[in-house]
Amino acid sequence: MTSSVPPTASEFLARLADAPCCAAIVDGGRLEAALASRAPAVFVLRGNGLELADMIRCVHERGKLIAVHLDLVDGIKADHWGVTWLARCGVDAVITSHGQLIPVIRNEGVIAIHRLLLSRREHLDTAVTALARSRPHIVEILPGVILPAISSLLPPLDVPMLAGGFIRTPLDARTVLAAGAVGVTTSSEGLWDLHG
Amino acid sequence: MADGAAIRLPRILVADTGHNGTSPPPGLDAGILLRNTDLAALIDCALSGSTPPAVELDSIRGLGSDDAAVDFLRRKLSIDIMLTRRPQAASAFAAAGGLALLNVLAFDSTGLRRSLLGHPRGERVGTVISPGLVLHHMLPSELALLVRPLVAYGLIDTAADALATLAVADGIVVRPEVAMGIAESDALLRGVGAQPG
Repeated sequence: MTSSVPPTASEFLARLADAPCCAAIVDGGRLEAALASRAPAVFVLRGNGLELADMIRCVHERGKLIAVHLDLVDGIKADHWGVTWLARCGVDAVITSHGQLIPVIRNEGVIAIHRLLLSRREHLDTAVTALARSRPHIVEILPGVILPAISSLLPPLDVPMLAGGFIRTPLDARTVLAAGAVGVTTSSEGLWDLHG
Repeated sequence: MADGAAIRLPRILVADTGHNGTSPPPGLDAGILLRNTDLAALIDCALSGSTPPAVELDSIRGLGSDDAAVDFLRRKLSIDIMLTRRPQAASAFAAAGGLALLNVLAFDSTGLRRSLLGHPRGERVGTVISPGLVLHHMLPSELALLVRPLVAYGLIDTAADALATLAVADGIVVRPEVAMGIAESDALLRGVGAQPG
């Protein structure tokens, strides 16, 4: 457990201005590369959610932020208590696709990232309605690489938008940022040093 | 179609509920995919002699996803192609002589590989990638993992996107308006997506 104060969403977003690509990792094996990069934040998409303390400490010691995907890490249930656990472990942000958990995350004082999985046109309205109801600090759109193609289908979102999924080249990242994303989440190490 | 006979996948599946009387635009290698509808509408279509070549099992309200439902689609309604996110249903449909297409979600590269772990990879079981628009952003190594035939489904909203996706997919699912756009596009004159002679 940690007693550090999580950053605000504004502080998180401010870091993206200089280095817009966050490092998405699926295990501790690539943590060191993420920490050595310019990436302002590490997004933990897999791993043991009950043994995060060392990782959180390492990330914070290197001056970076850490976001953990509540739905995907092992050992934790995507419910109120799972959110409380992550908050008490000292994560800076919690990611989930469960809109009903966003208020819980906010109440725990950490940054709430609502992950929207877009697969069909007829799902877009539902997704946007869910977003309006959940009121996250940040929304993450997946698959992000298609954001430029579908941005005209999305109504204006009054939430800062990250894009993740199949974004692998600087051109991909720049195109997605030009389409309205404030940042990118990517497992492609070559993008972690991208300048804003 | 008799069990075991080869089933041809149209290059373009035009999504319809069965309530709109949609027909594929002439000149395209296209067929109807019945989806987001109910069991009664599906049966009405079959009884009217306009059995669609393809049905999305999971979006038919009132229809189960067990072996009885799959058998009904294949043997009673003579559906040739079935899309589903359920590996067991896909295997059962293929065993009954149909062409099954397993719906695989592709939101990021890591998730794609996990989704593919459940693919039965049997004879006459292909793959649907959702959202289909992501397909032409995949690496060759990722495309090589996808079991053919390969259909792209979801967020293909313009004729240009459709034609780009057809360059890597065996088929696409589009709304009727997009199919019309493909038919009207110059690319048709170059033979992309056109009815085979």
